[in-house]
Amino acid sequence: MKRWLIWTSISVGSLLIIGFVGLSFMAGSPKDALAMVRFALPHMHVGNLKPGDSAPDVRLVALDGKTRFRLHERTQQRPLVLIFGSFT
Amino acid sequence: MGDVIQIYNDYKDRADFLTIYIREAHPLDEWQMKSNEKDKDNVCYVQPKTLEQRINIANDFTQRFKFPLPFGVDEMNDAANNAYAAWPERLYIIDETGRISYKGGNGPFKYDPKEVRAWLAQRYGDVTHAGS
Repeated sequence: MKRWLIWTSISVGSLLIIGFVGLSFMAGSPKDALAMVRFALPHMHVGNLKPGDSAPDVRLVALDGKTRFRLHERTQQRPLVLIFGSFT
Repeated sequence: MGDVIQIYNDYKDRADFLTIYIREAHPLDEWQMKSNEKDKDNVCYVQPKTLEQRINIANDFTQRFKFPLPFGVDEMNDAANNAYAAWPERLYIIDETGRISYKGGNGPFKYDPKEVRAWLAQRYGDVTHAGS
């Protein structure tokens, strides 16, 4: 029983180390890997929307900071390409 | 971003475009990227806590790149981001009936403007304006 426990611990520990090294390599450095886990993964979602679903309507703000408009106001006669993103 | 501007220039007579600015991906107080540092691209912002801060960054962005696409900013409750699972960057196409016709993957690895161009090309044919 004790031997089984030791080998399980070694296996789980090894997998964690391999995972962290892999993530560090992917993200750029161990610091980036930690930041990715803390700040990126909680905000990144696949989402439930799929082709054929009604596009959710949302309220947006124009660059003047005051004017509001709704997404559905822009879906009229033609297809609408949406580009989501930020500066950084 | 250049790819998206080129697609816009090529297809703006046939389709509508809307850029939606959402919460920052790599602000100073979260996961800042080396490429954003002052001595490189100099894109250094903290995560906006107010709509005014968010609007200011969006204006910095559009002015710095003379960004020609129509632009909207997500409210501070992140309604658009949440509804479309958009963070950090994502592309969609909504058809004339108001339904999702194309859903791109999460950026940066699955963000692919070529798929948007292919969708538009299938609908309207290949369009590439000279010099764009």
